[in-house]
Amino acid sequence: MNAIETKKLTKRYKTKTAVSELDLTVNEGELFALLGVNGAGKTTTVRMLSCLSEPTSGECFVCGKSCIKEPQAVKEIIDISPQDTAVADNLTVFENLRLICGIYGYSKEKTSAKIEEMIKLFNMDKVRNSRSKTLSGGWKRKLSIAMALISEPKVLFLDEPTLGLDVLARRDLWSVVEELKGKITIILTTHHMEEAEHLADRIAIMLEGQIAALGTLSELEELSGKQGLEESFVAIAEKYGKKAAG
Amino acid sequence: MNKINAFAKRNFLEIIRDPLSYIFCLGFPLIMLVVMTLVNESIPPEAGMTNFRIDNLAGGIAFFGLTFVMLFTSLSIAKDRSGAFLVRLYATPMKSGDFIAGYILPMGILAVIQSIITFVVSYIVSLVAGVSMNPLGMLVAVFALLPTMVLMVSFGLLFGTLFNEKAAPGLCSIIISLGSFLGGVWFDAEGTGGVLLDICNVLPFFHGVKAARMACALDFSGDFFIHLAITAGYALVVLILSIVVFKNKMHADLK
Repeated sequence: MNAIETKKLTKRYKTKTAVSELDLTVNEGELFALLGVNGAGKTTTVRMLSCLSEPTSGECFVCGKSCIKEPQAVKEIIDISPQDTAVADNLTVFENLRLICGIYGYSKEKTSAKIEEMIKLFNMDKVRNSRSKTLSGGWKRKLSIAMALISEPKVLFLDEPTLGLDVLARRDLWSVVEELKGKITIILTTHHMEEAEHLADRIAIMLEGQIAALGTLSELEELSGKQGLEESFVAIAEKYGKKAAG
Repeated sequence: MNKINAFAKRNFLEIIRDPLSYIFCLGFPLIMLVVMTLVNESIPPEAGMTNFRIDNLAGGIAFFGLTFVMLFTSLSIAKDRSGAFLVRLYATPMKSGDFIAGYILPMGILAVIQSIITFVVSYIVSLVAGVSMNPLGMLVAVFALLPTMVLMVSFGLLFGTLFNEKAAPGLCSIIISLGSFLGGVWFDAEGTGGVLLDICNVLPFFHGVKAARMACALDFSGDFFIHLAITAGYALVVLILSIVVFKNKMHADLK
């Protein structure tokens, strides 16, 4: 079964089409990157797939469940780390993680075990009792992802997870994401070429709400005739721009 | 229920860890209690003005304090709505009812704690001022203020849902000022009479204050239950309205 499947998925606002007739399939256990400039439709796509926004038309499925007809069932098997850091400021790291366990109805034993597992995975032991508002951007982002992961999602959406982070914090977060590869399906949105290149199994280049190109890094290089993701991206974007204009 | 408990606990912790909640929800009403008692001491007995005597003042200040619970409820919700935290929770299996109950419950608990502290301090002030106050009456007054608590938390839910964190406090300030004034906390509305009393009678604030004062005095004559019923009626209407608005807004946010 595909982890994600969209059919002609479209989101239209009053004057703008954010996502246009998107056809996409993501395999289970894959780390799939949606790469694009700001306003390309990446976040809107993730919002529709995580039941945070209703599509204008088309369909989308997560692990075979319809985001439109069965949003509650979809919400049981997904989680998201939004673009902006989404943590409770006055709660400690431990309490933030416990909050999510409570929402998912974990027993006391499971809550303790899962919190310890996340604290170990994200090396958060030294900040476990620190209030979130006192944490650096990197720690906050780690906590945000840990909060998404603690619910044991089948599909994890990471919306611009390293936005605004310095290079060390970004590398630190990459190593955590790499550890998750293959264990769950991850949909990563980013506009950092290096990030997509480093982490993703497959990359979809989104331009103006549509997928301009999709494939592994080598497939994209072959398609564009360029070396490296950045050069390939530029070549594909230019070609797409000419096609759209012509 | 797990979802509600977890979310309510988070909201409660967020409030009690915010220093502003102590300043506004406790500090300000208690300061007013002491200041108005001092004002009362300066009023000559022949003026016959008993509005600021501690046995009258306690119920009014308890009501006044609850208006700040409204302010904090609205601020909490508006702040959550402006950030990404609520977006994250929208993607969990939580339903609108879980959010509503998760906001209302801790604010209700906070309101009860605040009222109890206000009456305890009032009792201490009454001992100092040499005015007799019945502890049982104050306990009953906490219960008599329950409809007002529901009313204020519901107003908070409504304003926090409809307005952002800049606009909501402004609107709440109007209710705080109007509510305490037209509730007869700061003046003798019945003694004034006329159109002003008519306006007071139409709104729930005066009835909420009256019910608390009568309960404090263990005066359960017919009017007490009328005051209580009018406040409860308003509370129910505003509660239903706030729930409907929150659900609609959440639905619109997910469009």
